[in-house]
Amino acid sequence: MTEFLSYAFVQRALVTGLLLGVMCAVLSFFVVLRRMAFVGVGLSHAALGGVALGLLLGAPPLVAAALFTVGVAWVVGWLRGRTEVSEDTAIGVFFPTAMALGVVLISLSPAYRQDLVAYLFGNILSVSPDEVLPLAVLCVVGLALVGFYFKELLFLGVDEEAARAAGLPAVRLRFLLLTLLAVTIVAAVRLVGIILVSAFLVIPAATGQALARSLRGMLVVAVISSLVSVVAGLWLSWTWNLPSGAAIVLVSAVLFFGALARARRVA
Amino acid sequence: MSVPAVLLDGVSASYEGHPALEDVGFQVPQGRFAALIGPNGAGKSTCLRLLLGLVRPTAGRVEVFGHPPLTGDSDGVGYVPQKVTIPRGLPITAQDIVLMGRTAARGPGRLPSRRDRELAHTSLDQVGLADLAARRFQDLSGGQQQRVLIARALCAQPRLLLMDEPTAGLDSAARARFYALVCDLQHARGLTLLCATHDLDVVGEHADSIILLDRTVRAQGTPAEVMSGGRLEQAYHFPAHHVHQDHAAHGTDPTATSGTS
Repeated sequence: MTEFLSYAFVQRALVTGLLLGVMCAVLSFFVVLRRMAFVGVGLSHAALGGVALGLLLGAPPLVAAALFTVGVAWVVGWLRGRTEVSEDTAIGVFFPTAMALGVVLISLSPAYRQDLVAYLFGNILSVSPDEVLPLAVLCVVGLALVGFYFKELLFLGVDEEAARAAGLPAVRLRFLLLTLLAVTIVAAVRLVGIILVSAFLVIPAATGQALARSLRGMLVVAVISSLVSVVAGLWLSWTWNLPSGAAIVLVSAVLFFGALARARRVA
Repeated sequence: MSVPAVLLDGVSASYEGHPALEDVGFQVPQGRFAALIGPNGAGKSTCLRLLLGLVRPTAGRVEVFGHPPLTGDSDGVGYVPQKVTIPRGLPITAQDIVLMGRTAARGPGRLPSRRDRELAHTSLDQVGLADLAARRFQDLSGGQQQRVLIARALCAQPRLLLMDEPTAGLDSAARARFYALVCDLQHARGLTLLCATHDLDVVGEHADSIILLDRTVRAQGTPAEVMSGGRLEQAYHFPAHHVHQDHAAHGTDPTATSGTS
């Protein structure tokens, strides 16, 4: 373990992984509360379109993906508020379309396919020193925003109509949550990849839900399980030469099933 | 004379071009209990949504304590929905739900204070659920859940309580207890109550006035005035004794085919 921690690239991976793990765990609380798992899946698929666009245009892929995914999330949020198209339908139409666009763009540039594998499956061990600070700032700002509006987002998640009736700015809060989700998903693509990132936005809160008896407890368990998944997943990846993203998600899933088994025993 | 708690004057409203209300006018004086009744699709919920500022009228004037909704004394309005659906297994307690009533008053970035917690406890106590504060919301009975939602509305210290079919799904005994409780609260706190409901028998006993709605106001006055002269039969398109008997047996509107209007 000491040798594992002595390498600079492992240290970078741990710092960014732990920060992203906390961010994903906190957002997973709202994803589970608002039953937005499908939104997470859709946004992660849309991120592929942004990554492909960035690769094709020579722009930083993650920046392009963030702008593209936030844009798509806003269109879906706007459609939900202004038209009779349901959020589910809008996601079902827009996100696969964005992914299909990504696939077409990638097919036009075969040279980039190798890069693409890292985005599809993630490789936190390849995080460069230049990427650590922006990812850390992103996580700190995101967590600060969630903390600042936690009560409001909770009320909105439980009873949107009553929250609106109480004078809370429901539309702005919904767009804030969608934006944070979109940006976090794109950031977490480095951690677990486009294909697996949506799992990391559901499993930590589901583990917390299975074990905790209070909302605070659920949040704490979600964060701890997420951190354990990152550390254990990275260590397994290092030890057995496994893909880091898949190892992290598998550890997370093992923790969830363990929590579920314990909850059933207690019940 | 004080301004009415609720005023609708020549109000029309529509959803996607389909009219929901046409030239509706009524008012509720402060400290009174008014019931909005009418068949499904009559526009009862739309009236409440207008007063909450969730829907804008296409014509007419809507005022709450003399101001447009959500502009003047918006803190003075509490809302009790038909029900709240919590994701299965979520460990959210009755107290968590009630504390949400303090969210707007507290503002973003600030945790609930000791006073907020005291208000939540007092509100739960007033609805007889102080002992169940730490109980998971979804483990409570339907009647208890409705009382928690009232406690949440009370926690905001409102002067006006708007309730949208708050007893839907409750048995007749629970409905009777519910209305006895809100009447006690009305008198203890000097609250104004406006309740959209199908509970014709029970509100007939408790309400000071009734507004019979069927997209427009068909009748308004005391329960005795509104429930006589064939007005109910006309609005519900059903014999009056069926309206009362069916409702008493099932706690539902006999003409109902779907949810709230």
